[in-house]
Amino acid sequence: MKNTAHPHISGKALVVGGGIGGIQCALDLADTGFYVYLLEKSASVGGTMARLDKTFPTNDCSTCMISPKLVQVARHRNIEILTLSRLAALSGKPGNFRAQIEKQPRYVDHEKCIACGACAQKCPQKVPDPFNGGLSMRKAAYLTFPQAVPLKYAIDAQNCLYLTRGKCGLCRKICPTRAIAYDQQPETLELTVGAVVLCTGFELALTRQNGEYGYDRYRNVVSSLQYERMLSATGPYGGHVRRPSDGRTPRRVAWIQCVLSRDPSRNRPFCSAVCCMHAAKQAVLTRQHDPDSQATIYFMDVRAHGKGFDDYIERARAHYGVHYKRSMISQVYLEPDSEDLIIETFDHHLNRKVEETYDLVVLSSGFKPSEAFGDLAKRLEIDTNPYGFALTDFQHPVHTSRPGVFVCGATETPKDIPETVIQAGAAAAEAAALVHPARHRDVTSETTPPERALDAEPRIGVFVCHCGSNIAGVVDIEKTVAYAKTLPHVAYADHFLFSCSNDTLQKMEALIRDKRLNRIVVAACSPRTHEPLFQSVLQKAGVNPYLFELASIRDQCSWVHSDDPAKATAKSMDLIRASTARAARLEALSDHTYSVTKTGLVIGAGIAGMTAALALADQGFAVHLVEKEGSLGGFANNLTGTLEGNSPAALVHALAERIKTHRNVYLHLGSQLVAHRGHMGAFEGAIRTTSGEEAIQYGAVVVATGGSAYTPTEYLYGRDERVVTQVELSRRLQTDPGWARGLRQVVMIQCVGSRNEAFPFCSRVCCSAAVKNALLLKELDPGINLVVLYRDVRTFAFKELYYLKARRRGVLFFRYIPQAPPEVHRENGTLVVDFTDRSSHQDFGIQPDLLVLSAGIRPNAGTAQIADLLKLPTTEEGFFLEAHVKLRPVEMATAGIFIAGLAHSPRFIEETLTMARAPPSRPPRSCAAGR
Amino acid sequence: MALSFYPGCSLEGMANDYARSITAVFEDLGIDLVEIDDWSCCGSTAAHSLDETMSVALPARNLAAAGEMGLDIVSPCAMCFNRLRYAQLMLKRRSFDIPWQVDTDFAVHDMTRFLAAPDMLAQIRKRVVRPLANLKTVCYYGCQMVRPPSITGYTDFENPQTLDAIMDAVGAQVKDWSYKSTCCGASIGIGRREIRDTLTNRILDKAAHTGAEAIVVSCPLCQANLDTVPRRPGAGRLPVFYFTELMRLAFRPAAEAGWFRAHLTNPLPLLNTKGLVAA
Amino acid sequence: MADTQPSGPNPAVADQFAGRRLIERGHSRFLEHTQNATGIDIGACYQCERCTNACPVARYMDIKPHQVIRYTQLGWREALMHSTTIWVCLSCEMCTTYCPNAVDVAGLINHLRNTAARLPIRPAEKELAQFHQIFLEELRRFGRVNELWLMATFNRRPAILKKKLKDGSLKEDLSLGFNLWRRGRLKLLPHRSRGIGEIRKLYRHRRGESD
Repeated sequence: MKNTAHPHISGKALVVGGGIGGIQCALDLADTGFYVYLLEKSASVGGTMARLDKTFPTNDCSTCMISPKLVQVARHRNIEILTLSRLAALSGKPGNFRAQIEKQPRYVDHEKCIACGACAQKCPQKVPDPFNGGLSMRKAAYLTFPQAVPLKYAIDAQNCLYLTRGKCGLCRKICPTRAIAYDQQPETLELTVGAVVLCTGFELALTRQNGEYGYDRYRNVVSSLQYERMLSATGPYGGHVRRPSDGRTPRRVAWIQCVLSRDPSRNRPFCSAVCCMHAAKQAVLTRQHDPDSQATIYFMDVRAHGKGFDDYIERARAHYGVHYKRSMISQVYLEPDSEDLIIETFDHHLNRKVEETYDLVVLSSGFKPSEAFGDLAKRLEIDTNPYGFALTDFQHPVHTSRPGVFVCGATETPKDIPETVIQAGAAAAEAAALVHPARHRDVTSETTPPERALDAEPRIGVFVCHCGSNIAGVVDIEKTVAYAKTLPHVAYADHFLFSCSNDTLQKMEALIRDKRLNRIVVAACSPRTHEPLFQSVLQKAGVNPYLFELASIRDQCSWVHSDDPAKATAKSMDLIRASTARAARLEALSDHTYSVTKTGLVIGAGIAGMTAALALADQGFAVHLVEKEGSLGGFANNLTGTLEGNSPAALVHALAERIKTHRNVYLHLGSQLVAHRGHMGAFEGAIRTTSGEEAIQYGAVVVATGGSAYTPTEYLYGRDERVVTQVELSRRLQTDPGWARGLRQVVMIQCVGSRNEAFPFCSRVCCSAAVKNALLLKELDPGINLVVLYRDVRTFAFKELYYLKARRRGVLFFRYIPQAPPEVHRENGTLVVDFTDRSSHQDFGIQPDLLVLSAGIRPNAGTAQIADLLKLPTTEEGFFLEAHVKLRPVEMATAGIFIAGLAHSPRFIEETLTMARAPPSRPPRSCAAGR
Repeated sequence: MALSFYPGCSLEGMANDYARSITAVFEDLGIDLVEIDDWSCCGSTAAHSLDETMSVALPARNLAAAGEMGLDIVSPCAMCFNRLRYAQLMLKRRSFDIPWQVDTDFAVHDMTRFLAAPDMLAQIRKRVVRPLANLKTVCYYGCQMVRPPSITGYTDFENPQTLDAIMDAVGAQVKDWSYKSTCCGASIGIGRREIRDTLTNRILDKAAHTGAEAIVVSCPLCQANLDTVPRRPGAGRLPVFYFTELMRLAFRPAAEAGWFRAHLTNPLPLLNTKGLVAA
Repeated sequence: MADTQPSGPNPAVADQFAGRRLIERGHSRFLEHTQNATGIDIGACYQCERCTNACPVARYMDIKPHQVIRYTQLGWREALMHSTTIWVCLSCEMCTTYCPNAVDVAGLINHLRNTAARLPIRPAEKELAQFHQIFLEELRRFGRVNELWLMATFNRRPAILKKKLKDGSLKEDLSLGFNLWRRGRLKLLPHRSRGIGEIRKLYRHRRGESD
């Protein structure tokens, strides 16, 4: 079925940058009918995520999460990876760009290289390995990392003796496939693409030149990314944390936060948003690696503003014994003999300087856009902010200033993996909306080889996975493999460092054929994430994919019994025995296809719901939009302006106008979903409206049930009219500026109804709301006395600039601790707020005209009903629980059901807009195919 | 080549050894140091502590005189350098009610930075007759020469390199240490001696712990402090050299260097062990 | 204007609030005045304590550097004027150099010290204040400062002499002086600058005296 409409629109897209953002974006586009060029400047894709050890807040192994994605990208017939390449120029129009690509030579023939590694083994030239942050050496002929995609060696022209001096040539002599090609020349490619997505990622702002805290001066001061490599099983020390100076295991490790972040004096006034969490994670992992170790984090505010993050910090403190010291460091001193490091702080209790000695200091460096992005933005004429990040528009958070060029990930703001993945989905959806008339035009569909005839007798192959050190660190792998070989019907058993990596999967495919295996057992992580990947290998090898069993020896053995290796090993053996026994009895099953309903259902017509509905409708799908209230807009109707000065009302208005007039949108106001059954692609349900019940059919669901404001019971709220919430204050400021001008003294209290026992979540937006209102009040009357009582100021990323502005305008910020919260009472009719300032060690009393409470966000009242009806899990606080916090943040575990907006977790409007555009790039995967 | 030279008060008294070695070294290098005629005190810590305006006005008199000479200023004293630079910057920024016409269009160098320029280092290397091999040193910069960087221009304020580079050029072993610009407390040494003693002793301890046999300085106040501070019983002392003294020793090993006698901590035994002076 | 401003807690109000200090409207006048006089953006501080952690003499200060910022923001001028902090500060510029918000903490402390020096109040560190005064006086006399004469003038102050006799430090001074003299490091006679006239004129001008 070739699509021949709109011949001037290209059905191809160019994704620049092969990190997790680019990979996700490429997969989303390729899975929904577009051909994708994935451009990568280095020799392999994977980006920063491939260098991480584990990820917060689940401590999931990063390699295990990204490996399947790398494999998918590598095997996808509609994704073409262009490594060692850069986008040199872009001309033409949205929908039909001409992209000029400069491709540097690899000096290794891509087709011939079998990744045997002989070249690297023989290569005499050693250079510091950038993948390991220079902590280990690699050769001039190299593979970026063992699981690299594409799995092809490359020669580093700057260091190769042959290429620099015409000498050596050893690798050419040794290469068994004659793949070495010293005469390769740079190439220029001209590509026609309909849309471009920039996902060029970030690098650390910390450079060897600026000598921060002795970085690059003292050997035991390392950057956060170097430390990530030190923790990693594939890192320079094989997963054992060691000191660069002497190889000793560091017992005392310190983290210094906000290095080149929140630092206006270095023109880096913004917050890098993720360092608080990755430091906590690294500290926890350090304590896990070595229970005798000490982990200390020097910080000023803990910015744990994401879903479940505060809980993670609490566990780091209470369960893992990570020390948190709220004190910023100026200088790190070297102890000359031992190369230990000395950190000096002023101890207020002792009234003197104390020297604390550490074996290793990790610098949590801030982020900057990747080096190449600056020039790329100039060449593409894309606007950037003063710090080099791509500028986007409030209403269109993944659009750059150049139409048809989209952006995702840390190219736009410093952000974590889930936010990057969400944004990648949104960028893919926006790109797809631009080129959707050309859907399916430039793609070819997958065909699987026919299933081969199998021996009647089961011949089971057992593949035991190290999962880096995740499994191998606890379970005795050799022993389990030896045991597996003794089990009935087992024809083959072996172990692999990462069985989900591309090279292992290829080996597995070959082994299935060569050893005539007809049943496969993989003993590894979890079937939830990896089963489909291994099943596809069976298919490729001509074996029915259902003749597969996964023994979950990571989740059920090494993780839960990490303190008892012997028992974990015994249990692993039990699980493998059970899996092989089951595998022996498996029968081949065949999939049947069914036609899908090319209609979506969106529950909730707030900003998230309306955006999701429009994104689907714009791609040509019909959408039922169900809203229980009689009007559109949801929670955003309460909001006046954002911190950055944008108007939610204008946004709601713009969305509502489009919703009301879009021919693909069926709007059901005052309605509720009351029945739901079926499965992805073929759901059936019923909506109850004012006029009775209506049956509907839909292929996918987006849950956007939204959130609401917490109604405080604290601080005299509801009992004194001088006590209001931030939302109420914003509204009053808009409607009654005269009243606001009369205010002389205002106190704001943060974290009301958030971060406490009853509701441990941080509501993410309240610090910015307080800063916004404080600035508005200061604008109305610069002389107003404004006091903000906070626990941690969480104005992350560029919101930090407004916190700075508020301080400069004279807003006073005082920190309180949860053990001694502010006290509010009335004295002879006067409102009095008592609090302790932790800086001057003074108790204060203040008599404000107005007390403003930063009340947190709660899931909407209807959430529970929808959760029940759709059988969806929620967090303890009542927010929906996504399929995977890192890589599937907008999907629910039930296929075909997606989540967007406050129903997922507290978030800003621009974040909600992005998130609501992300699912539409995924439902079409099933819907787009039409079967 | 000629420079206008602002010695500062210390070089007439406590640091006259420094003054003599500077004259000798610059003669060797063939650079004319033209002393600013009738220079007066920069005001030091006292002027800015009590009267910010005086701290601009007092150096301004010297800047005005130097301006007439049409030469860049070089200052051997960290404090004088800092105050001259500060005044020059303030005069560029706004006008002051002072009786001197100041043309601020010339450079104010600290002597170490001037000598650590690549071409000067090459000159220095050329003149070394006997490298100070085996002499283990740490360089101590103090605060006023490097901080605040907005005044001094030292962007590497935590790990300055000028003295290190000069000492390396004359063949000495230079050890890296973390206390290059940690304050010795000189500015309150008279009024609160015990504070000064604590800070200075700590620097001496750290230098010894780093394995240094001598400390190399460029600041007269630092030298006086490190050389004369009372030590705890049992804690040793280290000779504290002006960098120019050691330069001259490398340039002219046989020449009479009377200034070593001015040190309270006698450096001759050390230099003797190293074979750098005759017994 | 700043000199006449009430600052710090009014004892009567403080009593009424049972020890709690009161933040009142108008607290920011001292802050604004100081910011205007110095050009230092004091409000930018976020109390990270880098200044205090960097300060080599924080333990000898009654108001630590980061608290100096807070006190200034709150308008507690009296407390700052009577603090040891403003005299103990070494002007080593560590705080200013390491402040992420580019607050010139040392500049602020210096400004406060300048202000205190002009007020008829007893400095919390009398000897430190006196030393600065004597230094400037020596400068006025000769145009340059002779170390020997500076020390002699300082030690001749009755209160200082008495103290130094008592704690034995005068003996130390004399012994050190003798050692230095023996090594030729003391210049016995001060040099008088030819331009002493214009320097003294500058002093008179600054003191508001007529020429």
